[in-house]
Amino acid sequence: MSKDAELVKKLKDATLKDRAFNELLDAYQERLYWHIRKIVVTHENADDVLQNTFIRVYKNIQKFEGKSSLHTWMYRIAYNESIRFLEQNNKKNYANIEEVSEAHLEVLFGDEYFDGDEIQKKLQTIIAGFSEKQQRVFQMKYFDDLSFRQISEIVEISESTLKSTYYTAVKIIEEKIFL
Amino acid sequence: MEHTSENNGKKNFLEGGLKGAISKHHKKYLGTEIPENYFATSKLSILDKIKSEEIKVAVPPKKQLVFWMKPSFKYMAAASIILLFGLTIWMQNLETPATIHKITIDEVAYSNDVLLESLLIEESELETFTNATLFQEVVVKAELSEQKLENLILNTLIVEDSLLDDYIDDKFIETIIL
Repeated sequence: MSKDAELVKKLKDATLKDRAFNELLDAYQERLYWHIRKIVVTHENADDVLQNTFIRVYKNIQKFEGKSSLHTWMYRIAYNESIRFLEQNNKKNYANIEEVSEAHLEVLFGDEYFDGDEIQKKLQTIIAGFSEKQQRVFQMKYFDDLSFRQISEIVEISESTLKSTYYTAVKIIEEKIFL
Repeated sequence: MEHTSENNGKKNFLEGGLKGAISKHHKKYLGTEIPENYFATSKLSILDKIKSEEIKVAVPPKKQLVFWMKPSFKYMAAASIILLFGLTIWMQNLETPATIHKITIDEVAYSNDVLLESLLIEESELETFTNATLFQEVVVKAELSEQKLENLILNTLIVEDSLLDDYIDDKFIETIIL
């Protein structure tokens, strides 16, 4: 039995649930935090969404059927929570995607927990110029090191579309960053 | 966590793919920081939130319901109303058409204008009507005859008594006179 399968078994057992949840936090908290942070940009927002994600995981672990891996299932919850958070905030504040991209950079560079140098700022600016789908795919592939199959399960897009989206994004970054 | 090897062995636009801790990777390429000791404090905060959520789930607010508003009572009341309604309809349908027809024939048969009433009776029911009429006539006539007889006897007795009284009275007077 894999480590994740064992963890799921313990999480579904009422007597072991709390201890198992501690283990789950140790294993996934940091990874999910960075996954969320790239989507919602600021540390403060990422903290809120991370908490909501783990609460949702805790409440719904009994419904986890093991069709995908625990890791993919949790990433999917984190992804959905982040998108929900963005939709709620963007609807209130921005009218279109250009405004969202500008605001994204403004918020990112203004965040007290961002201290990137010029090249990092340049990379963030290029990524912010991508479509929402391109951004998510590139970030999950490059920074979270997920396989195309895993990303496909999380965002519900075919693997071939994901590959084409990712390699287009890489090409754009390579061209722009080394200009 | 399962890591992919799809990025390995390729010349990357930045460096050689994901190396070392994930936080360092983000810091290095994206310039993003986190507060010191964040993950330890965040873990405690998540566990606290889960505990408070659990308490909320464990103690749902109790609704005080008056007994006639309780679901079980509502179902019983609804069932009773339906039963009463059904019984009423059933009772109404209990009187069969044959019974109603019989009553009609009897009523017509006891009517005074037999010839006129006979026009209202269907051919198939004519025999029943005739029997009822004849029976009614026989009964009425017998009753009348009996009454006449009784009257006659009574009258005779009264007349006889009055004659006797007269006789007695006459004899008594005669006796007194004599």
